[in-house]
Amino acid sequence: MAGKVSLDPRTKLFMVLAISSLAVFLTNIYLLLLVLLLAVAALAFAGGSIVDLLGKLKRLIAIFIAIVFVQSIFTKGGQPLLQAGELVILSDIGLTRGIQTMLRFFIILSSAAIMTTSNPREIIQGLIQCKVPYEIAFMVTVAIRFFPILRDEVNDIMTAIQLRGINLKQVPFLKRLKTYSYLLSPMLFSVFMKSQDLSVAMEMRAFRAYPRRTSLRVLHFRTQDYQVMALCTIIFLAIVFTALKAG
Amino acid sequence: MMIALNAVSFRYPRGNWILKDINLHIESKKCTFMVGPNGGGKTTLGKLMTGILKPTLGDVFVDKLNTKQAKLYQVGTKVGYLFQEPERQIFAATVRDELAFVMELKGIEKEVIEQRVEVALVRFQLQEVADSFPFQLSRGEKQRLALATVLMNNPSFLILDEPTTGLDVERKERLSEIIRELKKRGTGMVIISHDERFVEKHADRIIIVAGGGARDGG
Ligand SMILES: Nc1ncnc2c1ncn2[C@@H]1O[C@H](COP(=O)(O)OP(=O)(O)OP(=O)(O)O)[C@@H](O)[C@H]1O
Ligand SMILES: [Mg+2]
Repeated sequence: MAGKVSLDPRTKLFMVLAISSLAVFLTNIYLLLLVLLLAVAALAFAGGSIVDLLGKLKRLIAIFIAIVFVQSIFTKGGQPLLQAGELVILSDIGLTRGIQTMLRFFIILSSAAIMTTSNPREIIQGLIQCKVPYEIAFMVTVAIRFFPILRDEVNDIMTAIQLRGINLKQVPFLKRLKTYSYLLSPMLFSVFMKSQDLSVAMEMRAFRAYPRRTSLRVLHFRTQDYQVMALCTIIFLAIVFTALKAG
Repeated sequence: MMIALNAVSFRYPRGNWILKDINLHIESKKCTFMVGPNGGGKTTLGKLMTGILKPTLGDVFVDKLNTKQAKLYQVGTKVGYLFQEPERQIFAATVRDELAFVMELKGIEKEVIEQRVEVALVRFQLQEVADSFPFQLSRGEKQRLALATVLMNNPSFLILDEPTTGLDVERKERLSEIIRELKKRGTGMVIISHDERFVEKHADRIIIVAGGGARDGG
Protein backbone atom coordinates (compact mmCIF):
# COMPACT_ATOMS: atom_id res chain seq x y z
CA MET A 1 0.00 0.00 0.00
CA ALA A 2 1.07 3.59 0.57
CA GLY A 3 4.85 3.58 0.79
CA LYS A 4 6.75 2.23 3.77
CA VAL A 5 4.90 2.19 7.07
CA SER A 6 6.98 0.96 9.98
CA LEU A 7 4.60 -0.05 12.70
CA ASP A 8 5.63 -0.82 16.26
CA PRO A 9 5.99 -4.61 16.73
CA ARG A 10 3.46 -4.40 19.58
CA THR A 11 0.91 -2.95 17.19
CA LYS A 12 1.56 -5.84 14.83
CA LEU A 13 1.21 -8.31 17.68
CA PHE A 14 -2.12 -6.70 18.58
CA MET A 15 -3.36 -7.09 15.00
CA VAL A 16 -2.21 -10.70 14.83
CA LEU A 17 -3.97 -11.57 18.09
CA ALA A 18 -7.21 -9.85 17.01
CA ILE A 19 -7.21 -11.49 13.58
CA SER A 20 -6.34 -14.98 14.72
CA SER A 21 -8.84 -15.01 17.58
CA LEU A 22 -11.53 -14.08 15.04
CA ALA A 23 -10.36 -16.97 12.86
CA VAL A 24 -10.83 -19.37 15.76
CA PHE A 25 -14.26 -18.19 16.93
CA LEU A 26 -16.07 -17.32 13.70
CA THR A 27 -18.02 -20.00 11.85
CA ASN A 28 -19.81 -17.95 9.21
CA ILE A 29 -18.03 -18.39 5.89
CA TYR A 30 -18.72 -14.85 4.64
CA LEU A 31 -17.34 -13.32 7.81
CA LEU A 32 -14.28 -15.60 7.64
CA LEU A 33 -13.74 -14.50 4.05
CA LEU A 34 -13.96 -10.87 5.15
CA VAL A 35 -11.40 -11.45 7.90
CA LEU A 36 -9.08 -13.14 5.41
CA LEU A 37 -9.27 -10.09 3.15
CA LEU A 38 -8.58 -7.83 6.13
CA ALA A 39 -5.60 -10.00 7.18
CA VAL A 40 -4.11 -9.80 3.69
CA ALA A 41 -4.67 -6.04 3.62
CA ALA A 42 -3.01 -5.71 7.03
CA LEU A 43 -0.04 -7.73 5.77
CA ALA A 44 0.34 -5.45 2.75
CA PHE A 45 0.02 -2.41 5.02
CA ALA A 46 2.77 -3.72 7.32
CA GLY A 47 5.06 -4.09 4.32
CA GLY A 48 4.86 -7.87 3.82
CA SER A 49 5.00 -9.65 0.48
CA ILE A 50 1.68 -10.98 -0.79
CA VAL A 51 3.39 -12.93 -3.57
CA ASP A 52 5.33 -14.97 -0.98
CA LEU A 53 2.13 -15.58 0.98
CA LEU A 54 0.24 -16.82 -2.08
CA GLY A 55 3.10 -19.22 -2.80
CA LYS A 56 2.71 -20.71 0.68
CA LEU A 57 -1.09 -20.95 0.47
CA LYS A 58 -0.98 -22.62 -2.95
CA ARG A 59 0.90 -25.58 -1.52
CA LEU A 60 -1.91 -26.22 1.00
CA ILE A 61 -4.80 -26.37 -1.47
CA ALA A 62 -4.52 -30.13 -2.13
CA ILE A 63 -4.79 -30.86 1.61
CA PHE A 64 -8.00 -28.86 1.86
CA ILE A 65 -9.62 -30.59 -1.09
CA ALA A 66 -8.91 -33.84 0.77
CA ILE A 67 -10.49 -32.42 3.95
CA VAL A 68 -13.69 -31.55 2.07
CA PHE A 69 -14.11 -35.17 0.93
CA VAL A 70 -13.19 -36.71 4.28
CA GLN A 71 -15.68 -34.45 6.07
CA SER A 72 -18.38 -35.39 3.54
CA ILE A 73 -17.85 -39.11 3.87
CA PHE A 74 -17.70 -39.24 7.67
CA THR A 75 -20.23 -36.58 8.66
CA LYS A 76 -23.81 -37.82 8.77
CA GLY A 77 -26.66 -35.61 7.48
CA GLY A 78 -26.70 -32.72 5.09
CA GLN A 79 -27.68 -32.68 1.44
CA PRO A 80 -25.63 -35.00 -0.76
CA LEU A 81 -24.11 -33.19 -3.73
CA LEU A 82 -22.30 -36.20 -5.19
CA GLN A 83 -23.06 -39.85 -4.56
CA ALA A 84 -21.64 -43.25 -5.50
CA GLY A 85 -24.41 -45.74 -4.68
CA GLU A 86 -25.14 -45.39 -0.95
CA LEU A 87 -21.91 -43.59 -0.22
CA VAL A 88 -22.07 -39.80 -0.04
CA ILE A 89 -18.85 -38.50 -1.51
CA LEU A 90 -19.60 -34.80 -1.33
CA SER A 91 -22.21 -33.21 0.93
CA ASP A 92 -23.06 -29.58 1.66
CA ILE A 93 -21.95 -29.96 5.29
CA GLY A 94 -18.62 -31.44 4.23
CA LEU A 95 -18.13 -28.65 1.74
CA THR A 96 -18.93 -25.98 4.33
CA ARG A 97 -16.64 -27.43 6.96
CA GLY A 98 -13.80 -27.91 4.49
CA ILE A 99 -14.06 -24.31 3.37
CA GLN A 100 -14.21 -23.12 6.99
CA THR A 101 -11.02 -25.00 7.87
CA MET A 102 -9.30 -23.70 4.78
CA LEU A 103 -10.25 -20.09 5.50
CA ARG A 104 -9.10 -20.40 9.12
CA PHE A 105 -5.71 -21.72 8.09
CA PHE A 106 -5.29 -19.03 5.46
CA ILE A 107 -6.18 -16.31 7.97
CA ILE A 108 -3.76 -17.60 10.59
CA LEU A 109 -0.92 -17.94 8.07
CA SER A 110 -1.56 -14.45 6.68
CA SER A 111 -1.63 -12.87 10.11
CA ALA A 112 1.49 -14.74 11.24
CA ALA A 113 3.25 -13.35 8.18
CA ILE A 114 2.64 -9.88 9.60
CA MET A 115 5.10 -10.60 12.43
CA THR A 116 7.88 -11.55 10.03
CA THR A 117 7.95 -7.97 8.74
CA SER A 118 9.64 -6.86 11.97
CA ASN A 119 13.28 -7.67 12.65
CA PRO A 120 14.01 -10.02 15.59
CA ARG A 121 15.60 -7.31 17.76
CA GLU A 122 12.43 -5.25 17.56
CA ILE A 123 10.25 -8.25 18.39
CA ILE A 124 12.30 -9.01 21.52
CA GLN A 125 12.10 -5.39 22.59
CA GLY A 126 8.34 -5.35 21.91
CA LEU A 127 7.78 -8.49 24.00
CA ILE A 128 9.87 -7.14 26.86
CA GLN A 129 7.96 -3.89 26.94
CA CYS A 130 4.77 -5.96 27.13
CA LYS A 131 6.28 -7.34 30.37
CA VAL A 132 7.24 -10.69 28.88
CA PRO A 133 10.45 -11.89 30.69
CA TYR A 134 13.60 -11.31 28.62
CA GLU A 135 14.54 -15.00 28.67
CA ILE A 136 11.29 -16.02 27.01
CA ALA A 137 11.43 -13.21 24.48
CA PHE A 138 14.99 -14.23 23.67
CA MET A 139 14.01 -17.87 23.18
CA VAL A 140 11.24 -16.94 20.79
CA THR A 141 13.59 -15.01 18.57
CA VAL A 142 16.29 -17.68 18.66
CA ALA A 143 13.70 -20.16 17.43
CA ILE A 144 12.74 -17.86 14.58
CA ARG A 145 16.36 -17.32 13.64
CA PHE A 146 17.37 -21.00 13.65
CA PHE A 147 14.60 -22.21 11.42
CA PRO A 148 16.30 -21.41 8.07
CA ILE A 149 19.54 -23.02 9.28
CA LEU A 150 17.70 -26.25 10.05
CA ARG A 151 16.09 -26.18 6.63
CA ASP A 152 19.54 -25.92 5.00
CA GLU A 153 20.73 -28.84 7.05
CA VAL A 154 17.87 -31.06 5.91
CA ASN A 155 18.73 -30.16 2.33
CA ASP A 156 22.37 -31.13 2.89
CA ILE A 157 21.42 -34.51 4.31
CA MET A 158 19.06 -35.22 1.41
CA THR A 159 21.90 -34.33 -0.96
CA ALA A 160 24.30 -36.65 0.83
CA ILE A 161 21.82 -39.55 0.70
CA GLN A 162 21.19 -39.13 -3.02
CA LEU A 163 24.91 -38.76 -3.71
CA ARG A 164 25.35 -42.29 -2.49
CA GLY A 165 23.53 -43.36 -5.62
CA ILE A 166 20.10 -43.70 -4.07
CA ASN A 167 17.00 -42.68 -6.01
CA LEU A 168 14.55 -41.97 -3.21
CA LYS A 169 11.60 -42.26 -5.58
CA GLN A 170 12.44 -45.90 -6.27
CA VAL A 171 13.04 -46.97 -2.69
CA PRO A 172 10.13 -49.09 -1.38
CA PHE A 173 7.78 -47.29 1.01
CA LEU A 174 8.85 -48.92 4.30
CA LYS A 175 12.53 -48.48 3.62
CA ARG A 176 11.87 -44.90 2.61
CA LEU A 177 10.28 -44.26 6.01
CA LYS A 178 13.46 -45.55 7.60
CA THR A 179 15.46 -43.18 5.42
CA TYR A 180 13.38 -40.26 6.63
CA SER A 181 14.06 -41.31 10.20
CA TYR A 182 17.72 -40.85 9.32
CA LEU A 183 16.96 -37.20 8.73
CA LEU A 184 15.77 -36.81 12.28
CA SER A 185 18.79 -37.90 14.30
CA PRO A 186 21.37 -35.56 12.77
CA MET A 187 18.88 -32.73 12.99
CA LEU A 188 18.04 -33.27 16.65
CA PHE A 189 21.70 -33.72 17.40
CA SER A 190 22.72 -30.52 15.70
CA VAL A 191 19.95 -28.65 17.49
CA PHE A 192 21.30 -29.87 20.84
CA MET A 193 24.86 -29.02 19.91
CA LYS A 194 23.89 -25.57 18.70
CA SER A 195 21.89 -24.79 21.80
CA GLN A 196 24.75 -25.97 24.03
CA ASP A 197 27.26 -23.86 22.15
CA LEU A 198 24.91 -20.92 22.23
CA SER A 199 24.38 -21.16 25.97
CA VAL A 200 28.12 -21.37 26.66
CA ALA A 201 28.73 -18.40 24.39
CA MET A 202 25.98 -16.47 26.15
CA GLU A 203 27.33 -17.14 29.60
CA MET A 204 30.78 -16.10 28.51
CA ARG A 205 29.27 -12.80 27.49
CA ALA A 206 27.68 -12.60 30.93
CA PHE A 207 24.06 -13.14 29.91
CA ARG A 208 21.88 -12.79 33.04
CA ALA A 209 24.85 -11.82 35.23
CA TYR A 210 23.01 -8.65 36.22
CA PRO A 211 19.40 -8.96 37.28
CA ARG A 212 18.21 -5.90 35.40
CA ARG A 213 18.78 -5.39 31.71
CA THR A 214 18.81 -1.96 30.23
CA SER A 215 17.92 -1.55 26.61
CA LEU A 216 19.71 0.68 24.16
CA ARG A 217 16.66 0.95 21.97
CA VAL A 218 13.33 1.70 23.54
CA LEU A 219 10.24 1.43 21.39
CA HIS A 220 7.75 4.26 21.39
CA PHE A 221 4.22 4.16 20.07
CA ARG A 222 3.63 6.73 17.38
CA THR A 223 0.38 8.31 16.27
CA GLN A 224 -0.03 5.78 13.48
CA ASP A 225 0.24 2.94 15.99
CA TYR A 226 -2.64 4.34 18.02
CA GLN A 227 -4.66 4.89 14.86
CA VAL A 228 -4.06 1.35 13.61
CA MET A 229 -4.92 -0.19 16.98
CA ALA A 230 -8.09 1.86 17.30
CA LEU A 231 -9.18 0.92 13.79
CA CYS A 232 -8.34 -2.70 14.50
CA THR A 233 -10.44 -2.68 17.70
CA ILE A 234 -13.43 -1.10 15.95
CA ILE A 235 -13.36 -3.64 13.11
CA PHE A 236 -12.88 -6.47 15.61
CA LEU A 237 -15.93 -5.40 17.66
CA ALA A 238 -18.02 -4.83 14.52
CA ILE A 239 -17.29 -8.33 13.27
CA VAL A 240 -17.98 -9.92 16.68
CA PHE A 241 -21.26 -7.98 16.89
CA THR A 242 -22.33 -9.08 13.40
CA ALA A 243 -21.46 -12.68 14.17
CA LEU A 244 -23.52 -12.63 17.38
CA LYS A 245 -26.53 -11.10 15.64
CA ALA A 246 -26.35 -13.51 12.73
CA GLY A 247 -26.30 -16.31 15.30
CA MET B 1 35.51 -41.69 -16.76
CA MET B 2 36.14 -38.03 -17.13
CA ILE B 3 34.92 -34.74 -15.73
CA ALA B 4 34.80 -31.76 -18.05
CA LEU B 5 34.05 -28.12 -17.26
CA ASN B 6 33.25 -25.98 -20.29
CA ALA B 7 33.33 -22.21 -19.81
CA VAL B 8 31.96 -22.53 -16.27
CA SER B 9 31.23 -19.45 -14.18
CA PHE B 10 29.57 -19.59 -10.79
CA ARG B 11 28.13 -17.34 -8.16
CA TYR B 12 25.90 -18.06 -5.18
CA PRO B 13 22.46 -16.40 -5.28
CA ARG B 14 22.89 -12.69 -4.53
CA GLY B 15 26.68 -13.16 -4.26
CA ASN B 16 29.75 -12.16 -6.27
CA TRP B 17 31.29 -14.27 -9.01
CA ILE B 18 33.41 -16.91 -7.32
CA LEU B 19 34.59 -18.79 -10.40
CA LYS B 20 34.99 -17.16 -13.81
CA ASP B 21 35.12 -18.90 -17.19
CA ILE B 22 36.79 -22.12 -16.12
CA ASN B 23 37.78 -24.80 -18.63
CA LEU B 24 39.07 -28.03 -17.16
CA HIS B 25 39.37 -31.65 -18.16
CA ILE B 26 39.98 -34.12 -15.39
CA GLU B 27 41.29 -37.43 -16.67
CA SER B 28 40.21 -40.68 -15.12
CA LYS B 29 42.72 -42.93 -13.37
CA LYS B 30 44.79 -39.96 -12.28
CA CYS B 31 45.21 -38.25 -8.98
CA THR B 32 44.50 -34.55 -9.42
CA PHE B 33 44.99 -32.15 -6.53
CA MET B 34 43.29 -28.80 -6.10
CA VAL B 35 45.16 -26.32 -3.92
CA GLY B 36 44.79 -22.63 -3.16
CA PRO B 37 43.99 -20.08 -0.49
CA ASN B 38 40.98 -20.24 1.89
CA GLY B 39 37.88 -19.00 0.15
CA GLY B 40 39.48 -19.47 -3.26
CA GLY B 41 36.58 -21.63 -4.44
CA LYS B 42 37.98 -25.18 -4.17
CA THR B 43 34.97 -26.59 -2.33
CA THR B 44 32.64 -24.77 -4.72
CA LEU B 45 34.49 -26.26 -7.70
CA GLY B 46 34.30 -29.75 -6.18
CA LYS B 47 30.55 -29.38 -5.62
CA LEU B 48 30.12 -28.27 -9.23
CA MET B 49 31.89 -31.45 -10.36
CA THR B 50 29.28 -33.62 -8.62
CA GLY B 51 26.20 -31.60 -9.51
CA ILE B 52 25.51 -30.55 -5.91
CA LEU B 53 25.84 -27.04 -7.32
CA LYS B 54 24.88 -26.22 -10.91
CA PRO B 55 26.99 -23.77 -12.93
CA THR B 56 25.52 -20.29 -13.35
CA LEU B 57 27.03 -20.20 -16.84
CA GLY B 58 28.57 -23.01 -18.91
CA ASP B 59 28.29 -26.79 -18.53
CA VAL B 60 29.76 -29.51 -16.39
CA PHE B 61 29.92 -33.05 -17.77
CA VAL B 62 30.47 -36.13 -15.67
CA ASP B 63 31.14 -38.98 -18.08
CA LYS B 64 28.88 -37.42 -20.76
CA LEU B 65 26.19 -36.67 -18.17
CA ASN B 66 25.39 -32.94 -18.06
CA THR B 67 24.95 -32.08 -14.39
CA LYS B 68 22.29 -29.52 -15.29
CA GLN B 69 19.93 -32.30 -16.37
CA ALA B 70 21.29 -35.28 -14.43
CA LYS B 71 19.78 -36.31 -11.10
CA LEU B 72 22.07 -36.40 -8.10
CA TYR B 73 21.77 -40.16 -7.69
CA GLN B 74 22.89 -40.69 -11.28
CA VAL B 75 26.12 -38.80 -10.64
CA GLY B 76 26.33 -40.47 -7.23
CA THR B 77 26.58 -43.95 -8.73
CA LYS B 78 29.73 -42.87 -10.62
CA VAL B 79 31.34 -40.36 -8.28
CA GLY B 80 31.94 -40.61 -4.55
CA TYR B 81 32.11 -37.27 -2.73
CA LEU B 82 33.60 -36.57 0.68
CA PHE B 83 32.25 -33.36 2.24
CA GLN B 84 34.68 -30.94 3.87
CA GLU B 85 32.55 -31.23 7.04
CA PRO B 86 32.04 -34.95 7.73
CA GLU B 87 28.89 -34.27 9.84
CA ARG B 88 27.11 -33.42 6.61
CA GLN B 89 27.14 -37.00 5.42
CA ILE B 90 26.68 -38.98 8.61
CA PHE B 91 23.16 -39.90 9.69
CA ALA B 92 22.70 -43.40 11.04
CA ALA B 93 22.39 -44.48 14.68
CA THR B 94 25.60 -46.53 14.84
CA VAL B 95 28.83 -46.68 12.87
CA ARG B 96 27.94 -50.17 11.62
CA ASP B 97 24.52 -48.95 10.46
CA GLU B 98 26.10 -46.04 8.67
CA LEU B 99 28.28 -48.38 6.64
CA ALA B 100 25.47 -50.84 5.87
CA PHE B 101 22.77 -48.28 5.08
CA VAL B 102 23.21 -47.89 1.31
CA MET B 103 23.63 -51.62 0.69
CA GLU B 104 20.45 -52.32 2.66
CA LEU B 105 18.48 -49.87 0.53
CA LYS B 106 19.83 -51.55 -2.56
CA GLY B 107 18.57 -54.91 -1.29
CA ILE B 108 21.91 -56.69 -1.00
CA GLU B 109 21.93 -59.94 1.01
CA LYS B 110 22.47 -59.66 4.73
CA GLU B 111 25.56 -61.86 4.96
CA VAL B 112 27.29 -60.03 2.15
CA ILE B 113 26.58 -56.72 3.85
CA GLU B 114 27.90 -57.89 7.21
CA GLN B 115 31.06 -59.19 5.64
CA ARG B 116 31.74 -56.00 3.73
CA VAL B 117 31.05 -53.87 6.80
CA GLU B 118 33.54 -55.93 8.80
CA VAL B 119 36.21 -55.42 6.13
CA ALA B 120 35.59 -51.68 6.12
CA LEU B 121 35.77 -51.45 9.93
CA VAL B 122 39.21 -53.09 9.91
CA ARG B 123 40.47 -51.13 6.93
CA PHE B 124 39.63 -47.81 8.56
CA GLN B 125 40.47 -48.89 12.13
CA LEU B 126 36.93 -48.33 13.34
CA GLN B 127 36.38 -51.69 15.11
CA GLU B 128 36.59 -50.08 18.56
CA VAL B 129 33.76 -47.66 17.83
CA ALA B 130 31.66 -49.96 15.63
CA ASP B 131 28.58 -49.64 17.84
CA SER B 132 28.98 -46.02 18.93
CA PHE B 133 26.79 -43.10 17.98
CA PRO B 134 28.55 -41.57 14.95
CA PHE B 135 28.03 -37.95 16.04
CA GLN B 136 30.04 -38.43 19.19
CA LEU B 137 33.11 -39.72 17.41
CA SER B 138 36.21 -37.55 17.37
CA ARG B 139 36.83 -35.38 14.34
CA GLY B 140 39.40 -37.82 12.89
CA GLU B 141 37.13 -40.81 13.46
CA LYS B 142 34.23 -39.06 11.74
CA GLN B 143 36.52 -38.27 8.82
CA ARG B 144 37.50 -41.94 8.49
CA LEU B 145 33.89 -43.11 8.82
CA ALA B 146 32.73 -40.71 6.14
CA LEU B 147 35.44 -41.88 3.74
CA ALA B 148 34.72 -45.53 4.53
CA THR B 149 31.02 -44.96 3.75
CA VAL B 150 31.80 -43.28 0.45
CA LEU B 151 34.01 -46.20 -0.56
CA MET B 152 31.28 -48.77 0.25
CA ASN B 153 29.72 -47.76 -3.07
CA ASN B 154 32.84 -48.71 -5.08
CA PRO B 155 32.76 -45.46 -7.05
CA SER B 156 34.98 -45.29 -10.12
CA PHE B 157 35.85 -41.69 -9.33
CA LEU B 158 36.36 -39.88 -6.04
CA ILE B 159 36.25 -36.25 -4.98
CA LEU B 160 37.71 -35.72 -1.52
CA ASP B 161 37.47 -32.32 0.15
CA GLU B 162 40.38 -32.04 2.62
CA PRO B 163 40.50 -35.71 3.64
CA THR B 164 43.51 -35.23 5.95
CA THR B 165 41.90 -32.68 8.30
CA GLY B 166 41.84 -34.00 11.83
CA LEU B 167 44.01 -37.06 11.13
CA ASP B 168 47.07 -37.82 13.26
CA VAL B 169 50.39 -38.79 11.69
CA GLU B 170 49.67 -42.52 11.79
CA ARG B 171 46.14 -42.18 10.38
CA LYS B 172 47.43 -39.93 7.63
CA GLU B 173 49.90 -42.64 6.67
CA ARG B 174 47.02 -45.17 6.56
CA LEU B 175 45.07 -42.80 4.31
CA SER B 176 48.11 -42.57 2.03
CA GLU B 177 48.14 -46.35 1.76
CA ILE B 178 44.46 -46.40 0.89
CA ILE B 179 44.97 -43.78 -1.80
CA ARG B 180 47.83 -45.80 -3.28
CA GLU B 181 45.59 -48.91 -3.31
CA LEU B 182 42.80 -47.01 -5.03
CA LYS B 183 45.22 -45.63 -7.62
CA LYS B 184 46.44 -49.13 -8.35
CA ARG B 185 42.84 -50.24 -8.90
CA GLY B 186 42.37 -47.42 -11.38
CA THR B 187 40.08 -45.17 -9.34
CA GLY B 188 40.40 -41.56 -10.48
CA MET B 189 40.55 -38.86 -7.81
CA VAL B 190 40.28 -35.15 -7.26
CA ILE B 191 41.65 -34.26 -3.84
CA ILE B 192 41.44 -30.84 -2.23
CA SER B 193 44.20 -30.30 0.30
CA HIS B 194 46.31 -27.74 2.13
CA ASP B 195 48.81 -30.41 3.21
CA GLU B 196 51.90 -29.84 1.04
CA ARG B 197 53.66 -33.12 1.87
CA PHE B 198 50.48 -35.06 1.19
CA VAL B 199 50.10 -33.32 -2.16
CA GLU B 200 53.71 -33.98 -3.17
CA LYS B 201 53.36 -37.64 -2.28
CA HIS B 202 50.34 -38.43 -4.47
CA ALA B 203 49.81 -35.76 -7.10
CA ASP B 204 49.84 -36.61 -10.79
CA ARG B 205 48.60 -33.12 -11.51
CA ILE B 206 48.13 -29.98 -9.43
CA ILE B 207 45.52 -27.32 -10.13
CA ILE B 208 45.75 -23.97 -8.36
CA VAL B 209 42.35 -22.40 -7.62
CA ALA B 210 42.58 -18.70 -6.80
CA GLY B 211 41.16 -15.35 -7.83
CA GLY B 212 38.22 -16.90 -9.67
CA GLY B 213 40.45 -18.96 -11.96
CA ALA B 214 41.96 -22.46 -12.06
CA ARG B 215 45.38 -23.04 -13.65
CA ASP B 216 47.87 -25.88 -13.80
CA GLY B 217 50.85 -25.47 -11.54
CA GLY B 218 53.49 -27.33 -9.59
N1 LIG C 1 26.52 -21.20 0.55
C1 LIG C 1 27.21 -20.10 0.23
N2 LIG C 1 26.57 -18.93 -0.02
C2 LIG C 1 27.26 -17.82 -0.34
N3 LIG C 1 28.59 -17.76 -0.46
C3 LIG C 1 29.29 -18.90 -0.23
C4 LIG C 1 28.64 -20.11 0.12
N4 LIG C 1 29.59 -21.07 0.30
C5 LIG C 1 30.77 -20.46 0.06
N5 LIG C 1 30.60 -19.17 -0.26
C6 LIG C 1 31.68 -18.21 -0.62
O1 LIG C 1 32.36 -18.70 -1.75
C7 LIG C 1 33.76 -18.45 -1.66
C8 LIG C 1 34.53 -19.74 -1.94
O2 LIG C 1 34.24 -20.69 -0.92
P1 LIG C 1 34.81 -22.16 -0.93
O3 LIG C 1 34.20 -22.87 0.23
O4 LIG C 1 34.60 -22.76 -2.27
O5 LIG C 1 36.36 -21.92 -0.68
P2 LIG C 1 37.51 -22.98 -0.40
O6 LIG C 1 38.56 -22.74 -1.44
O7 LIG C 1 36.97 -24.36 -0.30
O8 LIG C 1 38.07 -22.51 1.02
P3 LIG C 1 38.71 -23.39 2.24
O9 LIG C 1 40.14 -23.60 1.90
O10 LIG C 1 38.54 -22.50 3.42
O11 LIG C 1 37.92 -24.65 2.36
C9 LIG C 1 34.00 -17.88 -0.28
O12 LIG C 1 34.22 -16.49 -0.43
C10 LIG C 1 32.72 -18.12 0.48
O13 LIG C 1 32.44 -17.05 1.34
MG1 LIG D 1 36.78 -25.73 1.16
